[in-house]
Amino acid sequence: MKTLQQIHNEQVCNSCTHEGKELIHVDCASHIYPDGSLGIHEMCFRVLEKEIVALCGPNGSGKSTLLEHLNGLLRPSSGNVTVMGKKLDLSHIDIWRDVGIVFQKSDDQLFAPTVLDDVMFGPINMGLSIEQARTEAMGALKTVGAEKLSDKMPNYLSGGQKRLVCIAGVLVMKPRAIAMDEPTSDLDPLHAEMVENIILNLKNEHGLSIVIATHDMDMAARISDRVCIVKDGSIIAEGKPSSIFYDKELLETSGLRQPKVVQIYEGITKNLGIGLEKHPMNGDELVKTILSDFKVWCIPKHL
Amino acid sequence: MSELSPHIPDLDLITFYSEKGTSLFSRISPWTKAFMLVFIILFVSIDKSLILAVCLYLIVLALYYLSGLPIKKLFQWYAMPFIFVLSLVLILMWNEPGTPIFSLNVPYFSLTLTDNGLLLLLTLVFKSLASVTYSLFFLMTTKYNYLSAMIYRVFPSPIDQIFLMSYRFIFMTLKMVESMIKALRSRGGGLLKSARRQSKMFSEVFALTMIRSYDRADRVNKAMEARGFNGKYVAATRIPGISFGEYFTMLVATTMAIYLIWFVKLPF
Repeated sequence: MKTLQQIHNEQVCNSCTHEGKELIHVDCASHIYPDGSLGIHEMCFRVLEKEIVALCGPNGSGKSTLLEHLNGLLRPSSGNVTVMGKKLDLSHIDIWRDVGIVFQKSDDQLFAPTVLDDVMFGPINMGLSIEQARTEAMGALKTVGAEKLSDKMPNYLSGGQKRLVCIAGVLVMKPRAIAMDEPTSDLDPLHAEMVENIILNLKNEHGLSIVIATHDMDMAARISDRVCIVKDGSIIAEGKPSSIFYDKELLETSGLRQPKVVQIYEGITKNLGIGLEKHPMNGDELVKTILSDFKVWCIPKHL
Repeated sequence: MSELSPHIPDLDLITFYSEKGTSLFSRISPWTKAFMLVFIILFVSIDKSLILAVCLYLIVLALYYLSGLPIKKLFQWYAMPFIFVLSLVLILMWNEPGTPIFSLNVPYFSLTLTDNGLLLLLTLVFKSLASVTYSLFFLMTTKYNYLSAMIYRVFPSPIDQIFLMSYRFIFMTLKMVESMIKALRSRGGGLLKSARRQSKMFSEVFALTMIRSYDRADRVNKAMEARGFNGKYVAATRIPGISFGEYFTMLVATTMAIYLIWFVKLPF
C-alpha cells in the first residue's frame, strides 16, 4: 500500500501537465544534516510562475530546510533541485539571483549600519554601481512602504519594520521567486496584514512566485494558490486551499489545525444539519456564503 | 546594556545620541573629528606637562558638555579607565626622583612617594580621562554609518570587514547577555550571595553567549550568502567633507600644540 508521500511524489514527478511555467522543481530530494538528522526525505515539489505556494507543517517538519534548498544555501544529499531550468550543482552558484529568501528571524538578515546600506547589499553583490544600487534600493523600499526608514539603524526598528526591510532587501535583487520562512510569525495583526498585502502585491503587480513556509493556517487559507502539507521531511499532500483545509483528517494526521474560517463554517453547517457545499477560505467569503445559502429567521429590525 | 553595570559605557545610549545628531558638533565632518582624535592621542603621548593635560581635559569636557551629552553618565563611565590607569601608575609612581612626600619602609626595601611621582599619577589620570572623554564625544556625535564608511576607506581588508560586521553583532550579543542576566535576577540571582556560586553562574551565562553567538554568526553568514556575499562588504555611505573653517581650526590647534609642547616651559 502506497504512503501519502509516495502518491504525492508520483503526481508531482510524473505529471506533465502544468498550469503555468515551472520555475522550480525539486525532484525527490533528500538532505541529511552532519549530525545525522533528516532534513527532507525524497521530497518532490514544484513552483510555477505567478503563484503563492504555502508549505504547511508543524515545527521540525522540514519546511525551512526545503526553503534553503531553493536558494542554494543547502545542497541535497540525493535527488535534484532545478531552478529556472538549471540544475542546482557546483556550477550554478548564482542561484540567489533567481530565488531570494527572507529568513524567519529578521535579526539574522539585517547586519548593515543602516536600512539603506542593508538593502543595497544585494545589488552591489550583483555588480551594480553604488549609485545604481542606491536608486534600486530606494525603489524596493518604496514598494514595501518603508522608504522613510532608509537612514534608520536596524537595531531600533520594530519587528514589523524589520520584516519589511528584509523583504525589500530581497526584492531589490529582482528575483523570479521569493521564499519566505514564517513571514508573519512574530508580527502584530496590523503588520501581519501589511506583510500579507505586500505578498499579494508582489504576485499580482510584480509577477513573482512566492513560497511561504508557515503554520499559520489562516494566512495560508487567505492568500495561497496552492498548499503543500509537510510532515517528517516529506510533502504528503498538495492541492488548492479549499480542498486541503477542508480535509480535517489529513490536517490532524499532520499535526495541524483547520483555519478558523473553516472551523466556523463547519461548526455552523454541523449545527444546522446542512452539508458542506461551498468552501469559503476567508472572512468575506464566509459571510457571503452564510447570507446567500442559509435562511435566517427572525432578523431583528435594526439589522 | 544597563543591566551589566552603570560603569560600562552603554552602547544603546551612545548610539541614541549619535543617531539623534542635534548638536552643532554632530554637523562637523567626521573626518575632522577623527583627525582631532589622532591629534589628541599624539598630544597625550608626547606631552609631559600636567598643566597642558588638565587644560586639554577641560577643553574636551567643555566640548562634551556643549554637545548636550550626559555628564553624569560620563563620570560613571570614568571608573574603568581610572582603575586601569591606577593599576599601572600604582607600580610606576614609587621611587621617582624628587622631594619625598610619603615613605613606606619594609624589610629589605622602601617605597617613597615623591612630588614627581604624584605629578606622574595626576598627569596620566588627566591624559587618560581626556582621551576617553574625547573618544566618547566622537562616538556620540558621529553616526555609525559614517564611522563604518571611514573605517572601510582607511583600514585594509580584513580589518575593515571585521569592524563593519561586528558593530551590529555586538549589539545582538549584548542584548542576549542582558536578557539572560535579567532572567537570572528575576529568580533571585545576585552578586551578594555566595560569590563562588554567582561567579559560576555568570561564567555559564557567558559561555552560553559564546555558543549562541557562534550559531547566530553562522545564520547571519547564511543570510549574507543568500544575497550573493562574496567576502567583501562595501560601505556605500557618503561622508560629509571637511569645510574650510574646520581645516583652519585643525591648523590652529596643531600649531598651538606644537608651540606649547616645544617652546613654552611650564612649571609642571
